[in-house]
Amino acid sequence: MHAFHIHYRNTQGTFMRILTAVSRRGIEMPYVLASASGHAHRADLLLDVNAKQIGQLCRDWHAIVDVIDVRVGVPTPEMLESATGFSSAHPPASAGATGRSASAAMA
Amino acid sequence: MLKGAEIFLKCLRAEGVELVFGYPGGAIMPLYDALDGSGIRHILTRHEQGAIFAAEGHARATGQVGVAIATSGPGATNLVTGIADAKMDSVPLVCITGQVRSALIGTDAFQETDVFGLTLSLTKWSRLVRSIDEIPEVVAEGFYWAREGRPGPVVIDIPTDFLKAKMEFSGPVKFAPKPRPSDGKADGTFADRLIALLQTAQKPVALVGAGAKLSGAVPELRALLDELNIPAFATVHGLGAVSPDAPYYLGMVGMHGTRAANMALHENDLLLVFGARLDDRVTGDPTRFAPNSKIVHFEIDPAQLDRVRQCELPIVGDLAQTIPAFANKIRGAKLPDWSAWRAVACGEDRGELDPRGLSQPTIRFLDELFGRAPKGSVILADVGQHQMWAAQRYCSDSPRGFITSGGLGSMGFALPAAVGVQLSKPDATVVCVSGDGGFQMNIQELATVRRLNLPIKMVIIDNKYLGMVRQWQQLFYQRNYAETDLSDNPDFVEISKAYRINAVRINEDVMREYPVTQETAGVLEKFLRSPEPELLVFDCAPEANVYPMVPAGAALSEMLFEEE
Repeated sequence: MHAFHIHYRNTQGTFMRILTAVSRRGIEMPYVLASASGHAHRADLLLDVNAKQIGQLCRDWHAIVDVIDVRVGVPTPEMLESATGFSSAHPPASAGATGRSASAAMA
Repeated sequence: MLKGAEIFLKCLRAEGVELVFGYPGGAIMPLYDALDGSGIRHILTRHEQGAIFAAEGHARATGQVGVAIATSGPGATNLVTGIADAKMDSVPLVCITGQVRSALIGTDAFQETDVFGLTLSLTKWSRLVRSIDEIPEVVAEGFYWAREGRPGPVVIDIPTDFLKAKMEFSGPVKFAPKPRPSDGKADGTFADRLIALLQTAQKPVALVGAGAKLSGAVPELRALLDELNIPAFATVHGLGAVSPDAPYYLGMVGMHGTRAANMALHENDLLLVFGARLDDRVTGDPTRFAPNSKIVHFEIDPAQLDRVRQCELPIVGDLAQTIPAFANKIRGAKLPDWSAWRAVACGEDRGELDPRGLSQPTIRFLDELFGRAPKGSVILADVGQHQMWAAQRYCSDSPRGFITSGGLGSMGFALPAAVGVQLSKPDATVVCVSGDGGFQMNIQELATVRRLNLPIKMVIIDNKYLGMVRQWQQLFYQRNYAETDLSDNPDFVEISKAYRINAVRINEDVMREYPVTQETAGVLEKFLRSPEPELLVFDCAPEANVYPMVPAGAALSEMLFEEE
């Protein structure tokens, strides 16, 4: 696992461009955190990638016009802990007229 | 007070826009309503994909930003292939899409599509306009990013109510980007390191891509290559950057490149790359690409570096600056004698592409056609076998004289792109070469050609197959020609006549005469010199193949040369 820290100007679509650089390669994103950081924003991602993918991702991110800086590092314990915290799917369930969940009603 | 549509058009004019291509519809109607008197000429195509390919043709022929306009929903989604095409081939493009009223966004309103979202991964930059006040800034920034560095496509999605609203307009604005601390540019020291690499190299070569042309550095590049006098070759988009008459020039490289170029690229020990992405059609099997080579990469876009493997010397910057900087240093340097290597790489046994077998008449036809085209002609090729034949036979030294969809390989590109080229270069002979499959993908643009009376010379290489796919089926799928038979094609001559466009058909047999008969020569001359749009259908052998060919996954040295 590698941690990526991307500083960016929070303009329209920039965060999504950062994410699609990952998703277009079919790489799962077990941990993503985006937050304000000084005058810009920062996205922290935890990804299971090889050296070639690291190079590709860093180049793709750098090509986004509002990305300021890209750094690669070692995951923090918090990142690793959060990444394992949601191991199962958890779809929202909405109540139906009878009080049963929507999925139960559909069944 | 001006309407948003009027402000938008004034901002386009401020960016130098005089020509736009589009197709109207509900959400974009206010912009069309304001076009009259704006100083901008609008070209109506018959499909939004035709509009964006025409805008690409204009941009590729001139280096200016192409502009395509479409309405919301299906209008916008019809632009998507062109946007992807422009991204792959570094074409500066601004796409303007109407959007449903701002209050309706997100409600699945009639003809609402999230064009901003669906083009995120295809665009260099995009904006959904959020108020009429934003229009001047958004237009300025969009054009800046379309042109800046490695050019690319931009989308501006504007809700229809902002086009109708009014505000005080104080004039267009200029966009100035904030510098990024991580933007590294080559400094002057690279030249010394490159000279040192050259001094120890025994088999240096130069690979020229589109970047050399986009940067406007062709004269400087040619002077440098003359100075180095090392074997040089070009990608399909680099064609025309190196003079084909240069004694060290080996032609096109890659999957259907010349034997000489591919062998030199495989055998070299120092590879100078000038503005090329090194994609898989150029490298063959990347794990066996140029196995003994150190790579020196002149490139404006750092995202293109190290894609195949880590380069020895990355030189990031505009080639119009880095090439002269290097050329100034090289003049006094002592370099090895590479004449023995040059003799091998440029030797007669490798030098000439020798067309044999079923493809010979088609290749001869293209030679006869291109050889008769006036100087300054622009050749467009669609996608498929004819594209590779045309690229192999292209022999002009005009940097913007060969235009094709290289990266995305979009069938249907050439005819509408030729519309944009001919409008941009009204005095040039524009020859548009298509296959019978691709021509039908945007055949409706014959109406645009006729309406504007554009004297485009359209050629269909008609083998009644999706030829390139059929070739792969023949070679790699045991001749299982699954769904590539187009033998029930319409009569293209009759279709052309229905659009009131002259058309003629010739059979490949006329190309077996040496030299061609006066009658055949007359047909070609009349076709090329006509002041009207013309269509020529060239019937060729159904199973003609493009050779040489590097099979997918093979190394460049593993070319196929002959029919089975």
